[in-house]
Amino acid sequence: MSTATDLQIAATERTPEIHLSASTGLFSMKGESYPEDVAAFYGQVVHAVEQLPTALAKPLEADISMIYINSSSIKAMFRIFEGFEAVRRAGQPVTVRWHYTDDDDIMQELGEDFKDRFPELSIEIKAN
Amino acid sequence: MDDSLFDLYDREKLLLAEGPAILERGIESEIRAFAERLFERFARVVRENEDLTRHSDRQEQRLVKLNQNLKTQTHELDIRKTELENLSKQLAKYLPPQIHEALFAGNHDTRIATRRKKLTVFFSDIKGFTQTSENLQPEALTEYLNEYFSEMTQIALAHGATIDKYMGDAMMVFFGDPETRGVREDARACVEMALSMLERLAELQQRWRNDGFENPFEIRIGINTGYCNVGNFGSDQRLSYTIIGGEVNLAQRLESNADVGGILMSYETWVHVQDLVDVEPRGAISMKGIARNVMTYGVTGRKKPHQQPSYALRHPAGISIELDTAVLDADTKVKLADQLSELADRLRAGH
Repeated sequence: MSTATDLQIAATERTPEIHLSASTGLFSMKGESYPEDVAAFYGQVVHAVEQLPTALAKPLEADISMIYINSSSIKAMFRIFEGFEAVRRAGQPVTVRWHYTDDDDIMQELGEDFKDRFPELSIEIKAN
Repeated sequence: MDDSLFDLYDREKLLLAEGPAILERGIESEIRAFAERLFERFARVVRENEDLTRHSDRQEQRLVKLNQNLKTQTHELDIRKTELENLSKQLAKYLPPQIHEALFAGNHDTRIATRRKKLTVFFSDIKGFTQTSENLQPEALTEYLNEYFSEMTQIALAHGATIDKYMGDAMMVFFGDPETRGVREDARACVEMALSMLERLAELQQRWRNDGFENPFEIRIGINTGYCNVGNFGSDQRLSYTIIGGEVNLAQRLESNADVGGILMSYETWVHVQDLVDVEPRGAISMKGIARNVMTYGVTGRKKPHQQPSYALRHPAGISIELDTAVLDADTKVKLADQLSELADRLRAGH
């Protein structure tokens, strides 16, 4: 069950599994993302992440492991990462681990794009 | 932020919405501050757009590559399919067509399993083949034999026969499995096939003689209808779809007793085709494995089409009698006459 800052979203064929807990500081996102309505799906996630600067009890650790992600979902992820930036600016350490399958150069390069785009965040690019 | 109001470009849209009022007020400091915010947001959107475009290009490249792989695989599958079709055509020559079709449709059971079924069995054999073959060059013998079998096979398939096997100069086919049109129709199709074979052979004989084949092939045909064991015989490694049983042996015996250029059939076949062919009784034969004596009939020719019954009676009360006296033997005629006479007496007496 999800609350304003805690998310428990199960994966579907078109959307990823997403978990967030403000009390433990853990965020995870895994699977494929090409929702029919990107705003409807990511609205709740962006909203929860934007609450983190005031709600987070521990340093934020985010694990992101995507197989496929469409352009609209990437636009939504920019907003999520901007939320992470806000946490960092509020004084909490933020660690992002970007996982990709060993031979998936598209997800590897996308992770590197995020790393360049958000230099204030500590983003590790990890091959599985 | 309210979830329901979330929009991927909500901040950009809010910023743009502020513009007209600021410009309207015309306060330079306010316009400058707005321009700075606009510039900052615009720069961010451009960077995002660059990232998105780059990602989109990568996805497109992957799609193109996948499409190329798919085309290559489809091409390879087409080649494989053609190879399989050619193989299937080659295999078809070694299998009864019904079995071949059923196998490739996945409907044929290849387990060792047989069942009893009433079939009409056909045997044919070339008279004096050994002697005929000695008088021909091997090449000529091969050519005539291949032509003979090709023509007979074509006729058999056209009549829906299952070709069981070729045994030297003999041919064994049957009707009723794996497909049947009913025992009667199977028997009729078999006899029609046999008649067509003899008619075609007569044409071939004429041509062969003209080609220098002095004593062309002549055949005997035997046909029997009865219960046989049909199915897959053999082992798991090598199966043969065939028929066995006393009724099969009987068909072969009928063939060996048939006239040259003639058809000899059992009573069980004759009952289904008596309106198709003229026959003459040839006496009974007995066979090991068959308890009864089997009456046999030699075919003398096709019945003429539209042959009228020799006696016809129709009455408005719905009574109709059509009688072909040619197919009745003397005993049957006497018994029938007695029954009709008794019926006439009862009608006259008012019963």
